[in-house]
Amino acid sequence: MFALRDLQGAFANHIRGEDQSRLEAAVVGDAIPAAARLRVYRHHVEQSLAAALAATFPTVQAVVGEEFFRAMARRYVVEHLPRQPVLTEYGAGFPEFIAGYEPAASLPYLADVARLDWALNLAFHSPVGVRLTAADLSSLPAEGIAGLSLTLAPGGAVFHSDYPIDRIWQISQPGTAGETIDLDAGGVNLLILRREDDAAFVGISDAEMAFLSAVQQGSTLESAAQAGFQVDGAFNPSTTFGRLLALQAFAALQHGVAKSASKAP
Amino acid sequence: MRTVAGIGLRAPHLAEIARDRPATGFLEIHAENYLAGSPALQAVERLRGDYEFSLHAVGLSLGSVEGLDEAHLARVAALAERLEPVLVSDHLSWSVSGGHYFNDLLPLPYTEEALEVVVRNIQRLQDRLKRQVLVENPSCYLGFKHSTLSEPTFLGELVRRSGCGLLLDVNNIAVTAHNLRLDPLAWLADLPAAAIGEYHLAGHAVNDADGEPILIDDHGSRVSEGVWSLFDSVLQRYGPRPTLVEWDTDVPALTILLDEAVRADRALKAWTGTDVRAA
Amino acid sequence: MNTTRIAIATALAAALALPATVQAQGNMEKCYGVAKAGKNDCQTAKSSCAGTSKTDHQNDAWISVPKGTCDKIVGGKLTAG
Repeated sequence: MFALRDLQGAFANHIRGEDQSRLEAAVVGDAIPAAARLRVYRHHVEQSLAAALAATFPTVQAVVGEEFFRAMARRYVVEHLPRQPVLTEYGAGFPEFIAGYEPAASLPYLADVARLDWALNLAFHSPVGVRLTAADLSSLPAEGIAGLSLTLAPGGAVFHSDYPIDRIWQISQPGTAGETIDLDAGGVNLLILRREDDAAFVGISDAEMAFLSAVQQGSTLESAAQAGFQVDGAFNPSTTFGRLLALQAFAALQHGVAKSASKAP
Repeated sequence: MRTVAGIGLRAPHLAEIARDRPATGFLEIHAENYLAGSPALQAVERLRGDYEFSLHAVGLSLGSVEGLDEAHLARVAALAERLEPVLVSDHLSWSVSGGHYFNDLLPLPYTEEALEVVVRNIQRLQDRLKRQVLVENPSCYLGFKHSTLSEPTFLGELVRRSGCGLLLDVNNIAVTAHNLRLDPLAWLADLPAAAIGEYHLAGHAVNDADGEPILIDDHGSRVSEGVWSLFDSVLQRYGPRPTLVEWDTDVPALTILLDEAVRADRALKAWTGTDVRAA
Repeated sequence: MNTTRIAIATALAAALALPATVQAQGNMEKCYGVAKAGKNDCQTAKSSCAGTSKTDHQNDAWISVPKGTCDKIVGGKLTAG
């Protein structure tokens, strides 16, 4: 008797690529042998999960090409099967995996490209939420605004790469004409945003990066602006804050926060 | 729900459907595509005024011996509450073992032990959703030597013991029958008619397995003539039901998919009045 | 408030009144739309290449060479020289 628990465990091991003679012996074979029948399932699991990764990491696939991506993704799939069925949430560990994936060692920027793809995927699948607008703050005195601690809207993220991954992203879009990118051109800071109907990213300066990183850590806008000045004496908080409001980068204030902020000294 | 044909709603068609609101019986979505929240979910919600929806889950793993994943179940239940679908379904298969998710509809041995497992899982699902669910016959590429029940007998027992309904996938019947050397008409002969709540139609591919043809359920082409003919037999035997055309691989222009649904509609109309549910 | 604090507070408040042209969004890259494929569709869509070939998947990672837009990316610490 092949208990169902044992059968499912053996099938799982077969999909991971292990020989499972007891499982094979339990399958009816004829002109199509049992082993060939079992392989239909293993191949589909590998290929469909690799395809899901390709959909989540389209820029990585464009950079390395379909064949290399598939080989890399299959290796990841076998070593890191999903823990739940929502495939858009599968692949959180793929950037780290790529960083340690030896066949891709000649492409040191590839893991950061994967981090960008993943951040865009997370943003796309975040709720829109209610965004902070300039009008929400118009009743506050200046010192009240400076005393606010804001949070990025859902899906919002900032990150720095030592490589020009924004330009790598651009030349990897379908239908983009050939253009060479020099990695020595330097790195980039990016702000990732969930917008009404899509996810998007925009380049930000080092001072803006410092400002937003401080905001993310819970600093008041005043302290965040100080962080910006420390990076760049010419930092302009007006331009930056105005731009971030226009981008709807911040979540709306929690009810009552604006009121208490207005009492700040 | 009207016994007309609808289409599986796929992302490449979403903008066009939102703009043109083409006439079709209903729209079916894969639950797991809409659990993470995205602009696509908002777009689907905006269609609810014009279309009825059915919710087709692909990852509940009704055949898992370790039981349902409660966290996943809760997300599916929340989506069902939000969309208020007319029908909810998943498959007679399993995809979870040891907490790992294998993205496939893996086959079950048709034994008393498996029957008890699937009945328990369906009961849990129906309790959680507070409604009947439909269970779909899968495409099979293998059978187990220790199976003691036929697939249709197994499905009939599921209905009797759990109160679930059935989603008959006509293409899957054809694929399974070919691959496991069964007679599709015999497969069809003795299902609990009143439990059948939906039909699925889709295309399949023919692959080579060590020199032998094997049918693969790839949902990547028009419904084959053989499956249309089998659909006629299904309608003759059980009468019309809400019918869905699915297309997932190499998704075609929307008009082609709608065209397939029109053909399904013609077949359904030819058998209207022979609905055995009324008998 | 000291003068720096007042200057920052005034500058932040001034942002609320900036005209839209000053708030220009820069090079915003639109990345995804609702046409983004539903990844769970491939659950039931058994790719027709999900056949039965005996390809050894353990090895192909090591014989495959990246061939994409990486051809257009030059320089960098590891690849220079």
